[in-house]
Amino acid sequence: MPPSIHPVDLIAALREKSLTPAIVFLTSRRACDEAMEAFDHARTVLPPERQEAIATALERVIAQYPSIAEHPLIPTVQRIGVAAHHAGHLPSWKIAIEELMRQGCLDAVFATTTLAAGVDFPARTVVITQSSIRKARDFMDLTIGEVQQIAGRAGRRGKDYVGFAVVTPSPYIDLHVLTKGFTGNPEAIDSQFTISYPMVLNLLKAHPHEQIQAILAKSFAQFQLNQRANVLEGKLDVLHTQMEPFGPRVCTDWITQWHTFDQARRQKPHRHQTARHESPEVTARFHFMTPGRVVGLNKGRGIVLRQYRSKGQKSPMVTVLRAGGAITESPAGTVTDVFDRLFECAEQQGYPWCTSESFDELLYQLTELPTRLPLLPILVSKESDLIPDAIVQSLGDFPCPSCSSRPACQKDYLVASRLRQEQQRHIKSIQALRTSLWHRFQERIDVLQKFGYLSPASHLTDDGEWARLIRIDHSLLITELIRAEAFAGADPAVLTGVMASIAHDDDRPGAFPRVSTGLSSLLGQVRKLAESLSPYEDPPLLRADIAAVAERWVSDPGLTWIGLCRSTTMAEGDIYRLLARTLEFLSQLHTLRATHPGLADSASRAIDLIRRGVLEELP
Amino acid sequence: MTTDELQQLLAQQPIAVLHRLARGRVHRHFRAGKRRLIELLLQHSSQNLAGLESDLQALIGERQAQPQSTPAPARQTAPRHPAPPPNRRPHRTHEPESTEPSVSLAAWLEGLGVPSPQPFVPDPWQVEALAGLAETDVVVSVPTGSGKTYVAVEAARRAMDENRTVIYTSPLKALSNTKFTEFSKIFGSDRVGILTGDRQDNSQAPILIMTTEILRNLLYDAAGGEIDVRLDTLGLVILDESQYLADPERGVVWEETIIFCPSQAKLLLLSASIGNPQDIADWLTSIRPSPCRLVRHSKRTVPLRAGYLHPNGKLTPLFRTAGIPYGHPGQLHPEAKRLFLEYEEDTLPSGRPRR
Repeated sequence: MPPSIHPVDLIAALREKSLTPAIVFLTSRRACDEAMEAFDHARTVLPPERQEAIATALERVIAQYPSIAEHPLIPTVQRIGVAAHHAGHLPSWKIAIEELMRQGCLDAVFATTTLAAGVDFPARTVVITQSSIRKARDFMDLTIGEVQQIAGRAGRRGKDYVGFAVVTPSPYIDLHVLTKGFTGNPEAIDSQFTISYPMVLNLLKAHPHEQIQAILAKSFAQFQLNQRANVLEGKLDVLHTQMEPFGPRVCTDWITQWHTFDQARRQKPHRHQTARHESPEVTARFHFMTPGRVVGLNKGRGIVLRQYRSKGQKSPMVTVLRAGGAITESPAGTVTDVFDRLFECAEQQGYPWCTSESFDELLYQLTELPTRLPLLPILVSKESDLIPDAIVQSLGDFPCPSCSSRPACQKDYLVASRLRQEQQRHIKSIQALRTSLWHRFQERIDVLQKFGYLSPASHLTDDGEWARLIRIDHSLLITELIRAEAFAGADPAVLTGVMASIAHDDDRPGAFPRVSTGLSSLLGQVRKLAESLSPYEDPPLLRADIAAVAERWVSDPGLTWIGLCRSTTMAEGDIYRLLARTLEFLSQLHTLRATHPGLADSASRAIDLIRRGVLEELP
Repeated sequence: MTTDELQQLLAQQPIAVLHRLARGRVHRHFRAGKRRLIELLLQHSSQNLAGLESDLQALIGERQAQPQSTPAPARQTAPRHPAPPPNRRPHRTHEPESTEPSVSLAAWLEGLGVPSPQPFVPDPWQVEALAGLAETDVVVSVPTGSGKTYVAVEAARRAMDENRTVIYTSPLKALSNTKFTEFSKIFGSDRVGILTGDRQDNSQAPILIMTTEILRNLLYDAAGGEIDVRLDTLGLVILDESQYLADPERGVVWEETIIFCPSQAKLLLLSASIGNPQDIADWLTSIRPSPCRLVRHSKRTVPLRAGYLHPNGKLTPLFRTAGIPYGHPGQLHPEAKRLFLEYEEDTLPSGRPRR
């Protein structure tokens, strides 16, 4: 069985049951194009009168948008009455398809789910072949709202009694997601409020610093945060009533009192060296086993060269020089005697732990030692299990041991302290919810002050005055570029290239024309700056290959749209969107004509150069 | 049961059972291949093998209780009468099994056709929205295709009759263009203007169409002291597709626009069905001068029916009822369910004949 129904069969099946016109939602643009290609060898052809209807309808659109007169898909669409509609197409072509669909000339349109919201035409039937959608480079299950948005295209008011949503399986389908989507309630929407640099500048331009908090409080974000805070406050009230039986007793804050008392009572002496399993004797003697000290071992005597504690060894270790010049490592516990005799010893890092002169000297001294040596008197402190004095004293300060409510406190402490902890946690969360937006705003202010767009008193500086007019993504990067005079003397083509690479956020690979050296060196600078700004603003992709497409369009006024499309593998719809977005960015630069006349002039020339051919057809 | 026994038992099951078992345990993208799926199932429930086992037994029991029923009817041409007997098997979702027979294809397709042209009568919700707009802000949340445009057009007409400017915003340039053409046809091209970042066509017209970002910029300019006559006479702001409020990147623009919308202008938020329109309305009430009116309904103007088309060209209803069984996603049509399970079994790599 094929993994999914063949497009020709699909359309045939829909036609047979009179379920046309239909919108078929497919996973990708490529799937749409391949579905169209599948009709190349199909024998189904529209009757001549319908072909003519399509032709007349198309003519009317072409009169308005001449760029699509030569569109390669026109013959196919006319022959089979089916078209594709996706973001890879020119807007004017999409308008033509929408118009054909509205007039009922087409039987089906293949569209991508990604732009289900942008498909603004209804049909009798929608066909759904997938249950997930590509979002930010990852496939996500369709939400209930999205399924209903897609299904919503089915059924034309006034033209259909009922609309149909037909599911046809493909390898990308989970029926459960779709049935849930059809029958469920759409999800609640959440605020996605973010605070951008231009927002801060524009707010501070219009309102004094102290009014901002009130303005932020008007956002839907704060409304939703307040809702959450209110829920917490409800919980807090419940906790409050639960806390009532644990009110003040003999002392007002008995919970803290009992807590400290309990802590003190339970306080154990801190981990002693006893934990290392060394007897107090060894500990006491170890202090004296310094380099040069004569010690007695099981067999014979020796002179300590060094002492150390090592993680690998349980007990402290000493390195001992033995008679005959041997150097041994032994645990301090094996030292039987510590003698009252100390020699000079010049220490040294690394074997043999002392200089060769003192080594010879010590060796000589060892052989010359008298048979009897006085022992070093070492006082060994007895191990004590006593609570440290500080605690004993403080226990005396507590009223608890003799308090009348002691049994009650002891019994209630666990419940009461848990309740109180919860209470404090809620209070903290509520505070955070109420002030988080303001804190985020303050963070932005700090950055803007650091860069000099705001004065320390949060007034707009001269730079801030013009920077607030740049209200696009990556605004900090753009304003910093302007301040660094990166665009000084840049011709419109290079400026366009840079703006295009900042504006473009898609990583679709492809083949592109060559980038000019001037542009590529400028892009190098931009990239460096973007990287240095990355703690404050996410850097854009800054693709040089994308910049080259926009640069070519501006630098060569003789270049036709077809010529530009041939120079790259980018889909024409994508090129159009890239240039349209670049136009938006350039027009923001154009608003700076009062302060940066050169740049604004360059931008306006670039705008004029971009706006030709296809780009001129639509506002 | 040991892991090995469990593994053997899993291996004996048809892939469809494994798929149902995998639901919620293994992500859908990793469900290809029976052996691999078994591995993943065991791996993901290594903490709770007993749970996996009991679920498996339940599924097996369910499968046995359902004798290999619903034999595929030989032909689909004639409507089947009577419809297949109601299923008696225990249902996996805990909803009461409907006792009505499943709808037949013929009944499902009934009503196909073009209604005779009828004089346009606005729906009650449209009237309600327009009435509300006479006094205050209105939030409209209705299913896609219910006729939000009618409300927008009528509201704009009424505002213009009072010599007020109307601003209409949409999230996408393409939609702006469509609306520009549509409004120009209705009101005449001299009364409709469009504003984009770099072009202003007929910018002094009483109806201005723009993307929401452009309106936000206009409002910021006005707040910053640049006077715009268009905002002084502004009587109505229509924000279409307001569910974009939840867009991760651009949602903030809708919030800014609503916060800074001049108080003398009325707001009309048109949105597809969303889960919490009341929240939006409450929010507007809290920040706007007058309490906001919410107009919502979930019934589609043109009723929807869901179907299932098998790759072999066979069409069946998707649900047991002709319409959508709202709130009961489990009420699948037995035929659709059988075909889909067959499809999953046939197309997944493990189900293919060995080569």
